[in-house]
Amino acid sequence: MTGHLTVKDCGDSAVVARAVGLDQEAAWRLVHTLADALDAVHLPGVHGLVPAYDALLVEFDCADTGHETVRRLLWHEAARLGVDPGPTAAPRRFVVPVVYGGEHGPDLPVVAAQLGLTEGEVVALHSGSDLTVRCLGAPAGAPMTDGPPFPVPVPRLASPRTRVDPGSVAVAGRQAVICPMPSPGGWPLLGRTPVRVLDLHADPLTPYRPGDTFRFVPIGAERWGEFAGVSLAECAEGRADGPRLVRHG
Amino acid sequence: MARGWSGMADTLTVRTPGHTTVQDLGRTGRSRHGLPANGALDQHSARVANILCGNDERAPLLELTALDFACVPSADILVAVTGAPADVTVSAAPRPQWEPFVVRAGEPLRVAGIRQGLRVYLAVLGSVETEYLQGSCAPDTVLGFGPALRAGDELTLRASCPPLDHPYSRIPLFRLAAPAAAAFPATTWTIDVTDGPDRAEFGDTASRLFGAPFTVSPRSNHIGLRLGSEGRLPRRTDTGEVLSRGVPIGAVEVPAGDELLVLHRGRGVTAGYPVLAVVTATGLSALGQVRPGQALRFRHRTLDEAVTAYRAQRAAVDALRARVRTAFDTLRIPVHAGG
Repeated sequence: MTGHLTVKDCGDSAVVARAVGLDQEAAWRLVHTLADALDAVHLPGVHGLVPAYDALLVEFDCADTGHETVRRLLWHEAARLGVDPGPTAAPRRFVVPVVYGGEHGPDLPVVAAQLGLTEGEVVALHSGSDLTVRCLGAPAGAPMTDGPPFPVPVPRLASPRTRVDPGSVAVAGRQAVICPMPSPGGWPLLGRTPVRVLDLHADPLTPYRPGDTFRFVPIGAERWGEFAGVSLAECAEGRADGPRLVRHG
Repeated sequence: MARGWSGMADTLTVRTPGHTTVQDLGRTGRSRHGLPANGALDQHSARVANILCGNDERAPLLELTALDFACVPSADILVAVTGAPADVTVSAAPRPQWEPFVVRAGEPLRVAGIRQGLRVYLAVLGSVETEYLQGSCAPDTVLGFGPALRAGDELTLRASCPPLDHPYSRIPLFRLAAPAAAAFPATTWTIDVTDGPDRAEFGDTASRLFGAPFTVSPRSNHIGLRLGSEGRLPRRTDTGEVLSRGVPIGAVEVPAGDELLVLHRGRGVTAGYPVLAVVTATGLSALGQVRPGQALRFRHRTLDEAVTAYRAQRAAVDALRARVRTAFDTLRIPVHAGG
């Protein structure tokens, strides 16, 4: 139903489609199933799809196709899919050890103060529920998830860091992320996982997909070495080699 | 060609590396997995360099940034040099840019004094062997893929070239009239943009983008350019929370600080800043040539104007490809269109 989609031009080589008037879950499902549908169509000239939380960026070569063609395809596929196309592939759950605070999570005290909570309460909220991966974003295919159930959104840093360590676990607004590779970043850092998020020899490079969930488990800094270099793929629940990762409770 | 007998591949040995990488047009089709396109920042010059050598336009070639470069081939090669103006020599004798020419085995090829622009592209007939990641050899600095070349590196040539040079004189072999990039201005660049999807959030301040010129900060790179200005910057009037979403290459973002951000081909695929304008496809090739410290002005284009300009540029490249094929067929040079 096209009433739930707006499509805006985004320069001469992209358009952005946004789901409107839907709840968060339905909006997310719409833009991701729309991306699947466009992928299947293989429209000549279209070379990039970035479905995120409630928006889908479609990148194309404007010598090979045009805004009107892409727009018509979006309307057509959206109408075909209907309002709520329902869940996609069966989600997987990743259980990820995190060392919170200290040198690994330098912004934990600031975030706690901003939220009016203790550091322990922030950690408990961040690790207390499964967080759904909404998209693979910046940098380097980072898993961008829903934020933990904090009382208010978390402001971004006034001055972004020039380097954030790989494995850093960060929050901003009502979103959360693990940073896969060293990169600049403006999101407050709560902690860091010793687990290796990304594998340059795998295809795709990252083991998770949108719809999968992450459960963070606090560990003491002394257990860092136990998990250092373990690949995130091994943290997927149901993996025979996975359960050794985290001692629950 | 009787080169296969030794089992030794012909090579291009790097003498002066400058700041040079093996590059291509980018890692497209992976943005859904969070991977930026990367690839040659001046796509037009890179495309033309490959086509002048009879290569597929996506074939690996060298991208030289700012610094002098020299190499020596172990066999005769045909090369083309495009991009920013520079002094191109073979054994100290000048050679043209934007036309292919021959370098004999053992002769040093040198590109020095890159000026006005920032990047030079050097393609060689048949291209070079290189490593691929997710379908492209384009360096990705965030992933740590695609190292810069070092002195002594030997690039393996994928093909060798038959002897070509005119036997009795030094008259140029080719007059292919390649469509050179737009002018390389001595002072101020003009970069075309169209309206961005969030322009309305800036109210009347949006027009400040077209006021005073901007200066490119030294903290600019292939991920994005930072632009400062003497004039007042556009300001977002809307203060609502922005959810991360996909942002296009060329997005002009306006953070709260005193600089604008223009995303280039290494940009992360998602961001949370509002997008005031988007640099056009032809504008991005030009922007890939702007040096830190140089000034630029943005020029507003309609979507139709932008698309028309890009299609004209690509049509000129297609016409060049046809002329190259004709010339190469006449000279019995093999065309490596498969990339």
